Amino acid sequence: MIEEDEGGAGPLGGLRVLELADEKGQFCGKLMGDLGADVVKIEPPGGEQARRVGPFLDDIPHLEQSLSFWYYNTSKRGITLDLGSDDGRQLFKRLARDADIVLETFQPGHLDGLGLDYAALSADNAGLIMCSLTSFGQSGPWRDYLGSDLLHMAAGGQMASCGYDESDVAGGEPIAPGGGNAWHMGGHFAYMGILAALVSRTFTGAGQYIDCSIHEACALTTESAIANYVYRGETLIRQTGRHHAAQPGPRTQFRAKDGKYVTALVGGRLNPKYVADLAAFLDSYGMAGDLLDAKYQDPKVIAEATSHIIDDLVAGFIASLPAEEVYHAAQDRGFTWAAVRAPEDLLDDAHLGDRGFWKEVAHPELGRSFIYPGEAAIYGGSPWRISRRAPLIGEHNAEIFSGELGIPAEELAALAKSGVI
Amino acid sequence: MSRRRALEGIRIIDFSWVRAGPWATRWLGALGAEIIKIEWPENERGRLPSSTTPQGLETNLNTSGNFNDTNVNKKSITLNVRSPKGLAIAKRLIAVSDVVIENFSSRVLQKWGLGYDELQRIKPDIVYVSMSGYGHTGRNHHYTTFGPVAQAASGLTFLSGLPGKPPAGWGWSYMDDTGGMYGAMCALTGLYHRNATGKGQHIDQSQMVSAVPLNGPALLDFTVNGRGSRRTGFPPGNRAHWPGTPVLDNYRGPTVAPHNAYRTHPGDYNDWCVIVCHTDAEWSTLVDVMGAPAWARDEKFATVSGRLEHQQELDERLETWTATLDKYELTERCQAAGVRALPVQSAEDRVENDPQLRERGMYRELEHPALGRHKVQNAPFKLSQTPAFNHAASPLIGEHTREVVESLLGMGPEDVRAGFEDGTFWPPKRARFPYQEDMLR
Repeated sequence: MIEEDEGGAGPLGGLRVLELADEKGQFCGKLMGDLGADVVKIEPPGGEQARRVGPFLDDIPHLEQSLSFWYYNTSKRGITLDLGSDDGRQLFKRLARDADIVLETFQPGHLDGLGLDYAALSADNAGLIMCSLTSFGQSGPWRDYLGSDLLHMAAGGQMASCGYDESDVAGGEPIAPGGGNAWHMGGHFAYMGILAALVSRTFTGAGQYIDCSIHEACALTTESAIANYVYRGETLIRQTGRHHAAQPGPRTQFRAKDGKYVTALVGGRLNPKYVADLAAFLDSYGMAGDLLDAKYQDPKVIAEATSHIIDDLVAGFIASLPAEEVYHAAQDRGFTWAAVRAPEDLLDDAHLGDRGFWKEVAHPELGRSFIYPGEAAIYGGSPWRISRRAPLIGEHNAEIFSGELGIPAEELAALAKSGVI
Repeated sequence: MSRRRALEGIRIIDFSWVRAGPWATRWLGALGAEIIKIEWPENERGRLPSSTTPQGLETNLNTSGNFNDTNVNKKSITLNVRSPKGLAIAKRLIAVSDVVIENFSSRVLQKWGLGYDELQRIKPDIVYVSMSGYGHTGRNHHYTTFGPVAQAASGLTFLSGLPGKPPAGWGWSYMDDTGGMYGAMCALTGLYHRNATGKGQHIDQSQMVSAVPLNGPALLDFTVNGRGSRRTGFPPGNRAHWPGTPVLDNYRGPTVAPHNAYRTHPGDYNDWCVIVCHTDAEWSTLVDVMGAPAWARDEKFATVSGRLEHQQELDERLETWTATLDKYELTERCQAAGVRALPVQSAEDRVENDPQLRERGMYRELEHPALGRHKVQNAPFKLSQTPAFNHAASPLIGEHTREVVESLLGMGPEDVRAGFEDGTFWPPKRARFPYQEDMLR
């Protein structure tokens, strides 16, 4: 049983995670850390290469000032260790003896070559759960291929489903959604696999090895595209700001008065009740046009007037107001519409404010605090929290190597000098 | 004690519908939990309408292909939870379960009399995962979402597209997929915590809110540097940087070139590949793979800053080479040499042509009584001791009503017949499927 401290441990309180992860796995480590696990990030001496990815604080490239690294490494402690050295490997094995989870993202076979495979690490720790989160998994013809976010979005099927109507951008180029979501997709599935193994361990005490593939995670994340092919043999086309489809469908993205866009899902929903509600809504702004006409209670008339309703009336209505006003007015009347916000617009979202979503995270080394995004879900009995900002390079070397493993300070200094830590 | 499945012995009451909730419980089912999906045909959402019913099959509640893939590994019972008798049965099922999952609007379960307080009274250590559009707290909790709406409101949509054009966004309900992931992740986390502490809890997951943390670096660029995303050259399409604009990081990894999609032979709709060079060494290798054409040996392309500066020309030149090759052939040539390249793959490509997914057993067939034998998507994580796998096609609506109420609640054939007659297990005036007639014999 875990004893909860007064502030309330997160649901993963009491678990120790060793993270050997680059850009592929740091998000999965954050998911565990923010939910209370003690995540120890093990970087090569000099720092993990994900620290070189921007944007940077004040746009000055610096290993301690990557905002991307900051974001994906909250709630972790950090140590450095050269696994290429005998001493480094021995220290890692000692750490793994008391760990619950090892998360690693090396090319397949790398840790085996170092004698740090699951069989070796679990020999002294039968409860160990080890997850290898790699681009393509531990087997198969693409096993040793290199990946990147863009590469995964291509092969995973995201790009085949995303792009523009020919009338917006000619040429049909597939467009990969931004934001680094291949790593998110992989991280979500890896987290699921790890948690499933943890739940299983609560019954058996036994750990296990998990081989998780980012390519497969991405290939699973295109909603109905696979079903459309498997059941109907269809290949879907790309459409501006809306669903892939077997045949072109009505647009759903409209430019508002302030130049921002609104997503209004109208096509496919135009039954008499919806049209009556829509007419009343538009009429409250004096923008209903002819939609109040009784003829629009006939489904046949509606079907014939779909383009008029969407491209003239809805588009005209949205063009007359700021996007955010359309969004809230529509939702208050039960319409499932939204403004297309830029990320920075979210800071003003009162709903997120009500949920306490934004977190102030202290960066004591800078004497400053910054606002970070918060939790995907509110855990009623075991709070999510950012327990600390991302670690500086080797910040917790003394705390962990000396404080926990009992290595004397002079020995630690020697290890530092010889490049082991 | 050995277990074949990670969640063996865990029972989940699943009120979820449409896509996000069912996608969550599908995975919990693959991991071995017993999923009891509670449905009602009069207000069903997910089985109809179906754009994925095979040509030639009647469209009915049991013939949606997408429903099948989204609902494998579950049992289905039909139960009118809006009637006192149906509600009482639901409560009895909850009393013998570990998890309750639903993805209704924020106040629906409360209105039924199944809010967390009541759930906790019925089963003190219940793990309750609510997957609503905007969450159960906050002033907009009553707002509703579909995937595209959650994506728009959260900032996700905005990050995808070409500069100066409307957002391209996501071509499907990414937040139905991802909302489903979070639902499953919350349930697993709550279960782990319950097993470790003995305590259940309510986990308030929101589709819209779950999307916001996926924009982390863009948000920090604003909260730390004051730089918003409404700026020249953003979003930069498939590139890491848009030519002729300030060199800024665009939240997709290193700012490098080449970093784009290129046409491949024979030039059909999905004949594209992507190529990315993270370093000058990778570029130099690519030059060799291309056979070292004169243009590529030009000094102006030798460094990443040069390639960014001359990216437009670089991309055009590169495409004259890629357009001569099949996307898989190009991938093999590049990757064999250590150059990052992969094909753009349609669904057909993934199912039929992707050698990696084939080798890894990504799509395996399951027999469905109405749809026949079809490929179903498998788990991307291979657990060495308790593997996740799809063990049952999606249930026909109400397929397990009798089995569940008899085995879990000790009801008898008379109770089942009475429940069908009084509208608890099926609307009395609605035609029954043959397998339901069998339940009454």
